[in-house]
Amino acid sequence: MSKLFRTKNPASYLALVLILGLWLARQIQPPPVALASGRGVAGHVFDGQGEPVIDADLKLYINKEDRPVAKTRSQPDGAYLLVLPEAQTASYVRVEVERPHFKLHVWTPDGAEFAALLEEDTFVTHDIIMERRIVASFWITAAIFIGMLAIIATERLHNTVAALLAMVLIFGVSLLGEIFSPDLFIFTFDQAIEYVDFEVIFLLLGMMIVIGVIEETGIFQWLAFQAYRLSRGKVWLLSMILMSITAIASALLDNVTTMLLITPIILEIALAAGINPLSLVLPALLSANVGGLATLVGTPVNIMIGSFVGLDFNDFVVHLTPGVLMALLGLMVFVQLRYWKEYHTVGGGLSPALMKQLEENGRIRDPLKLRKGGIVFGVLLLLFVLGEPLHLPPTISAIAGAVAMLLWVNPDIREMMSVVDWTTLVFFIGLFVVVGAVQEVGILAVIADGIVGMVGTSLMASLLSIVWIAALLSGMIDNIPFAAAMLPIVKLLTRIIPGAESNVLYYGLAIGADLGGNSSLIGSSANLVVAGITERAGYRITFRKFLKVGIPAMAITTAIGSLWLIIHFI
Amino acid sequence: MGKILCATRGGEASIRTQNAAINKARETASELIFFYVYDVEFMAHAKYALRSDVVTDEMERMAEFLMSMAVERAKEQGINAHYTIRQGRFVDELAAAAEEEQATLVILGRPEEENVFKLEHLRELTERLQTETGIPFCIMPDHLTDQSI
Repeated sequence: MSKLFRTKNPASYLALVLILGLWLARQIQPPPVALASGRGVAGHVFDGQGEPVIDADLKLYINKEDRPVAKTRSQPDGAYLLVLPEAQTASYVRVEVERPHFKLHVWTPDGAEFAALLEEDTFVTHDIIMERRIVASFWITAAIFIGMLAIIATERLHNTVAALLAMVLIFGVSLLGEIFSPDLFIFTFDQAIEYVDFEVIFLLLGMMIVIGVIEETGIFQWLAFQAYRLSRGKVWLLSMILMSITAIASALLDNVTTMLLITPIILEIALAAGINPLSLVLPALLSANVGGLATLVGTPVNIMIGSFVGLDFNDFVVHLTPGVLMALLGLMVFVQLRYWKEYHTVGGGLSPALMKQLEENGRIRDPLKLRKGGIVFGVLLLLFVLGEPLHLPPTISAIAGAVAMLLWVNPDIREMMSVVDWTTLVFFIGLFVVVGAVQEVGILAVIADGIVGMVGTSLMASLLSIVWIAALLSGMIDNIPFAAAMLPIVKLLTRIIPGAESNVLYYGLAIGADLGGNSSLIGSSANLVVAGITERAGYRITFRKFLKVGIPAMAITTAIGSLWLIIHFI
Repeated sequence: MGKILCATRGGEASIRTQNAAINKARETASELIFFYVYDVEFMAHAKYALRSDVVTDEMERMAEFLMSMAVERAKEQGINAHYTIRQGRFVDELAAAAEEEQATLVILGRPEEENVFKLEHLRELTERLQTETGIPFCIMPDHLTDQSI
């Protein structure tokens, strides 16, 4: 400023006068006017990505008083309404919007707006856009989240313990840290619970009970043995049938359960056919991982996506199942070429005693339970399909299926409750809270901005980035926390990128996260479970051995899946 | 007449061990018992519905099938054999079975190159178990020629 006074340039003086004039104009207050009671200010609060800001504190001040005359909080859609409780005489009005992790936003009406405020009962302001504030809680939450992923990936702790530990740390920092610095606040317990998706929890719970009943019927083992019979010694055909069985079972039930129960008998069948069991087990496993992608209930990732976006069973069937069928076909071709030698080598047969034993292992264990359970499961599938016209969410259908199993098929409530994998449900609750914290402090918004910065608003580039980044990362880290963290990011991208409103990016996330599990031994729970069983049978699946088959399988199926989405949506 | 306890699974390496044990049983006119231990610790990797009872049954059936194959292999070579299956920690169960069966020799398979559990680890283990149980342990084929029942 002092330099400005020293200058002899008249333009500088003119600029100074202009600035002073503008400053004075802002300071000159209009004459006081009467504001009737019940009159209000309304509008919406959004963040930089256009997401509604929920629970923002809004305060209305008049005449530069320190105490607000009206207070409110923004709603889930970011809407707010500030109502004057009594008539006021005002010459100046301002609205302050406050929210942790955002900068304080002050709105003051200009001349025209002030005039409108006097005339209208409820004056609607333009959208308030709050600017993010990166503070200590941002970095601490990021460190906790990355730490949790690392602990899960290295198996230092059980997934559930890792998620609970991260959740406790988040609350510790947020609630105790706030005493020392407001910058350490993340969210309250009530706000954290809002992030827990109970639709996912209950859908998983219902499906666990349904699957728990079907597991003990022996259907998987029977199907595998029928495949052996049907193939009549043609190992290439046996492999194709087994792949089809595991894909369908995984799509309708769950890939881990399918592989857990079918792997032992596939091993026995392979020994009966005189071939290395891994040449049948690995294709069946790869196929199970692909098959799970086909439906809403096929994988926990699909369940999360479906609940988050509001996609139903039919959405997945229409938009993903054809792509999965194409990917399976590609996988089958790859498997036939990869194991050509093994499948066309004549192996030794089994003695009648061993064949009888194999047949015994492949029989239905409980025909009555299978009949009843099959009927309940059939009706459940029908409810999934008819759910949308009946306004029946998949979660309610799954719970209804579970209750039917309890009432009609297996009424032992204690036994059925022991079937539920509570640690998984607790894992999901902890995970949702941790991902909620990540979202709350703005980490996901920063990542979304970064993605948009990289790929712009190109739908094709965004889709391919999501599919392949998800596929590559899912081979290294647990795909469930990854997908949970990606969902809000994909939501932002879906709103920003033209053409993405078809939800194509969500389907891309499902393809990448689910099919990526085939790329490495640690990419999917089913891989580790199968490796555990085969090792106990004397056939070790090493990390490297799996990569040799898994990487090409992942590349082929993901490429076909991406191609399907491009053809179908773009 | 001695009693050989052969700890085995079902892979190609296991078949070599089984054949070596069959030969040893023939040479020494010993009774041969194939021994299999399994656990279901891999279920910890699963993140979904689990019936540990159903999975345990399946593992038991698979074990019976693999051991029946081993017994048949022995029978084809003129040796009468039978098997025993246990669930639990391999080392604990092996020591317990060796003592309960009053084995005069315990045969373990040589680990493959790619195994995390290396030959030197197995040697340390067999020496420890031998000291604890007083029963000779050997790794096939390395120690077989050095050991006698």
